[in-house]
Amino acid sequence: MAIDLSMPILVVDDYNTMIRIIRNLLKQLGFEDIDDATDGSAALGKMRGKRYGLVISDWNMEPMTGYELLKEVRGDPGLAKTPFIMVTAESKTENVIAAKKAGVNNYIVKPFNAQTLKTKIEAVFAE
Amino acid sequence: MAAPIQQHQDRIAAHLRRKLGDDVSLADVVALAEITAQSLQGVFESMDAAVHRELQGIADYIKAMKAEIGGLHFNELKRTRIPAAGQELDAIVKATETASNTIMECAEAVLAGDADDPAAFKAMVDEKMLVIFEACSFQDITGQRIAKVVDTLKHIEARVSRLTDGGFVAHDERAGAERKRKLILHGPQLAGGGMGQSEIDSLLSGTTAAK
Repeated sequence: MAIDLSMPILVVDDYNTMIRIIRNLLKQLGFEDIDDATDGSAALGKMRGKRYGLVISDWNMEPMTGYELLKEVRGDPGLAKTPFIMVTAESKTENVIAAKKAGVNNYIVKPFNAQTLKTKIEAVFAE
Repeated sequence: MAAPIQQHQDRIAAHLRRKLGDDVSLADVVALAEITAQSLQGVFESMDAAVHRELQGIADYIKAMKAEIGGLHFNELKRTRIPAAGQELDAIVKATETASNTIMECAEAVLAGDADDPAAFKAMVDEKMLVIFEACSFQDITGQRIAKVVDTLKHIEARVSRLTDGGFVAHDERAGAERKRKLILHGPQLAGGGMGQSEIDSLLSGTTAAK
């Protein structure tokens, strides 16, 4: 399935450096409409005001983690089907299992490269 | 003890004879002596109670200090948390070195690039810029590792503060630990401590069982 490069993407991370990196990588892949938020609650607010085609989120953030954001998104009928990729330094088995149970579409462990991000995005939209 | 009491009674008897003359009987003297002794008994008992309270207070204080010293978890600090903090700092140094080398190599490649073929040169520059962006992600990981080290230092500071001024409230630490447990917050792992991307991919796709 061809990916719609015009779809809005929301990048969620408490490190501005990481937002900048992901934003630039996404631009290299051809995406232009990219918003960001610095924690789960801010992201949720943005998601309730604009329909995003993809959410790329970190895990460890305050006050709301990416894990909590994922559960909120999947629990909201208006947002539940939003593709969600976790991009995080959390690499323990229990993290991946918890994210999978919560309905994550894909999981990227930091540090990652542009090719990995591209591959995982393509895999989400190929499902 | 009998001799001092006898002396006490003799003094009372002598005093009574001077005041009341020879009508004072031995029974009078003994009765008065008993009353005096009973009065003194009360004084001695109250002194014993005061000394007992002081000693009990000292014992309680020593017990509390022992509990505080035990609460420092010296073994946990020495064997686990401090070495782990050291390993995190080593990982930070390594990560920053790797990132610096990567960025410098890219910069060197761009500087040495042949600009005679603009299209090829741009393609090379674009590729190197991507690599630089990827390398800059070290700031996120090292930031999280530094947060872990700071957490350990705060843990040590809190326990030392409890011994010196008793001003630390343990509740914040417990709340933080509970949040980490509930939200599965481990942070970046040291080499071998977490899964790599291919293992995660296998776990997500269900091709490997969780260990």
